[in-house]
Amino acid sequence: MEERLYDLIFILRPDTPESDIDKVISTLEHAAAEKGGKIDSVNKWGRKRMAYRVQKLREGYFVYMVIRSSHGEVVKELERRLKVSDPVIKYLTVRLDEELKRQDKLKRHRERRAARRPRKTVAPAAAMPGAEQTATPTA
Amino acid sequence: MAEENAQQQSYGGGGGQRSSGPGGGPGGRPGGPAKRGKRNFVRKKKVCRFCVDKADFIDYKKAEILAPFIQERGKILPRRMTGTCARHQRWLTVAIKRAQNIALLPFAAEL
Repeated sequence: MEERLYDLIFILRPDTPESDIDKVISTLEHAAAEKGGKIDSVNKWGRKRMAYRVQKLREGYFVYMVIRSSHGEVVKELERRLKVSDPVIKYLTVRLDEELKRQDKLKRHRERRAARRPRKTVAPAAAMPGAEQTATPTA
Repeated sequence: MAEENAQQQSYGGGGGQRSSGPGGGPGGRPGGPAKRGKRNFVRKKKVCRFCVDKADFIDYKKAEILAPFIQERGKILPRRMTGTCARHQRWLTVAIKRAQNIALLPFAAEL
């Protein structure tokens, strides 16, 4: 089965000490490894103001990570852990691989179109190498 | 010529029914310069901002990009207000809803 890519963002209480944050992240890494997944990157966004109050808090410590796995079990386990973990007030997992696939497809489509277009208008394409030639001796 | 005219009129009639009233007659719809009718001003055509940037993906993590597309009270602005194309509006709403879920954007403004 092909690999899936997930975004996982979770928000911790703003008063969580740095050591506890690292602990949460490392437990998640272990849990992911156990289930056969892999955490690609961890990015601490730090303390940010939330758009609305969550558990009477206005601020939160945001952590963003990218997870790679071939099945959904990893996400299930990570979400379970986030749910029972006390300092975590909010989390969100988004599956991204299909969107990235679509993005690639559109990009390729556009490149193909861009490659096809110069053939119709020969004059600018012919002018370009000439301009380059004149530019190279000066440089 | 006559056939074309008849077609246009039938189309205009349909539009009139929808917008209810003679005010929204043929040529009075937004987008595209008005050809005839009482209201003769030309509306500047809005261009989809994401199409200009050639965006293939709207990132829900960048709240500052999404913020201009929501109202003060947190509602998502319609396409007719922002000029976003159908495809990008579709992606945009998904991105905004994701951002709302992780408290990057508000569901509704707090008082």
